[in-house]
Amino acid sequence: MSISVGLNCPACGGAIQVADGEQVVNCEYCGSMLYLEGDGGVNTIAFKMKVDRGAARAVSEEWFRKDWKARDLRKEAKVLEIYPIYLPFWSIKMRVIGWICGYDERTYSDSKGHTRTERIPKEEMVLNDYQYSEIACDPGDLGIKRLRNFLGESEFEDFGNIPTYEATTSKDEAMKRIGEEALNDARGEAHVQHVTFERVHVLPRALSMIYYPIWVVRYGYREKMYIYTVDGVSGEIISGRAPGDPLFQSLAITAGTTIGGLIAAGSLYLMAASETMDPTITLIGLAAGAIITFGAYMFFRHGSEIIEGDFTDKKYGLGGLDEMGVVSDLLKGRIDLGGRI
Amino acid sequence: MATFNCPKCGAPVEFDVKDRLVRCRYCSSEIFIDKSGAGFYYVLPFAIDETTIIGTFRRWAGGSTKAKDLDKYAHIVSVKKSFFPVYLFKRDVDGSEQVFVEPAASTTLPGLHSLKVPGGDMVVYDKNFDAKGVDMVKPDIDMASYLDKLPGRAKEQALVYFPIYVLDYAFAEKNWRTVISATSGEVFSGDFPRRSSSAYMMVAIVGFLAFLTEGFLAAVDPLLALALIGITVLVVFGASYFVARRM
Repeated sequence: MSISVGLNCPACGGAIQVADGEQVVNCEYCGSMLYLEGDGGVNTIAFKMKVDRGAARAVSEEWFRKDWKARDLRKEAKVLEIYPIYLPFWSIKMRVIGWICGYDERTYSDSKGHTRTERIPKEEMVLNDYQYSEIACDPGDLGIKRLRNFLGESEFEDFGNIPTYEATTSKDEAMKRIGEEALNDARGEAHVQHVTFERVHVLPRALSMIYYPIWVVRYGYREKMYIYTVDGVSGEIISGRAPGDPLFQSLAITAGTTIGGLIAAGSLYLMAASETMDPTITLIGLAAGAIITFGAYMFFRHGSEIIEGDFTDKKYGLGGLDEMGVVSDLLKGRIDLGGRI
Repeated sequence: MATFNCPKCGAPVEFDVKDRLVRCRYCSSEIFIDKSGAGFYYVLPFAIDETTIIGTFRRWAGGSTKAKDLDKYAHIVSVKKSFFPVYLFKRDVDGSEQVFVEPAASTTLPGLHSLKVPGGDMVVYDKNFDAKGVDMVKPDIDMASYLDKLPGRAKEQALVYFPIYVLDYAFAEKNWRTVISATSGEVFSGDFPRRSSSAYMMVAIVGFLAFLTEGFLAAVDPLLALALIGITVLVVFGASYFVARRM
């Protein structure tokens, strides 16, 4: 068996022109309409590189100064290598449609300390269109997992000499993950606290492969090698690593313990001072103080490297909490804050 | 670039790894490449040179979980290049495409057990590919042994070689080894000398408790509390700066 199959029009024998992802083509010689069977393939487009090498380098000027990076980074950093690559992304449009019913609960307390819980029934229609993207290969240490925008100007695959990463993940698995994400997003937007009934469908509307241009910039700082990546369409920095500064680490923990400690003290004091106070307010105050201190601690502990983008080793900030599952648990309502926050 | 002969006119046709449809430049017929019945050999070329890899290692070694000064005092004993093989299978399982990555060679290298095909500009591995003397690790597991076990129908199967640097270093009289991907600079670390969090935690806990107590004291004697808070701010700042720099 040969691995290459020449394609001819079955009606006239002329050579036919077909692109990946097409299902129906017309023979350009005899005009027959032909339906293609078999491995469907995916529509593929590439976005035009709009940013030049100089601009990819120049964005670092501002980026080096921002967000608690080493104070002497601008002076000490030496850009050593700048090269463009094309990364493959699955781009998927989803429509979520259906109904979510349930109720919200609201608690009121009056001046005498009586509490009353009210149920508000809800009936929400869901009709949302989403567009998501997911990288179609292993991003390694580039810190990019999804596209920041879909605004590129498309051109038919013409990569010139730019290295193009191969797509190695499955489109159907990407579709499944994104379908679940769309469902979760639609549930979130419906704002129903307690769901009693749900009938929601996720309809995939379009799938395509986008090759997106990216500049990879490697720079050195005191014998260490760091990286940042620049969006080849918008010219913005997508992800990057940079050295931190011990001064900012210690400022963070000083401010964090001060604010956290005083908030906690204040909430304890309020409880001691007034007898009618609801003790949950004190608990919330204590928790807020502890969370602020903990957030500051994480930056103090791990802020020696400033990490932006979809890296897995980021341990501070909201991204770091997300890694630990706290934020996603909170968002999914798995941690109950008494329905008050 | 890799080539095959056009099934229509016999002329050589160039194709790339991602191509499924190519056009013959001589007779302009469209040719479909059916990858289901053959095993392909692909290779990701080296994209990062040795100096950059050593710099990347130093950056990684300076990370917050690594032993203090690992970046400065890790003595690099050797840096070796090699190509490491994995199998990549694309299968049609009940109408949906699934990707399987399986080991092709048994290894004791750290971090290579989490199997994946690193992203990169894949090319067909044939006689035109110049490995430049870099060692290609021989697969010791046969592709056929997986084909029977995997679910679904074959769509594509390939042996993919990806480039790695194996770095041996010595630190505190012990030898360590780490593997770094030569496509993206990702560090596939095994074990490494670790840093303790206890000094950091100590500063945070003592600071928090001190401010908590002083906040309470403010209700009794605001002036004294304010003075104490001022002193504690300075102490916490000094202690944390020392810890961040030296511990």
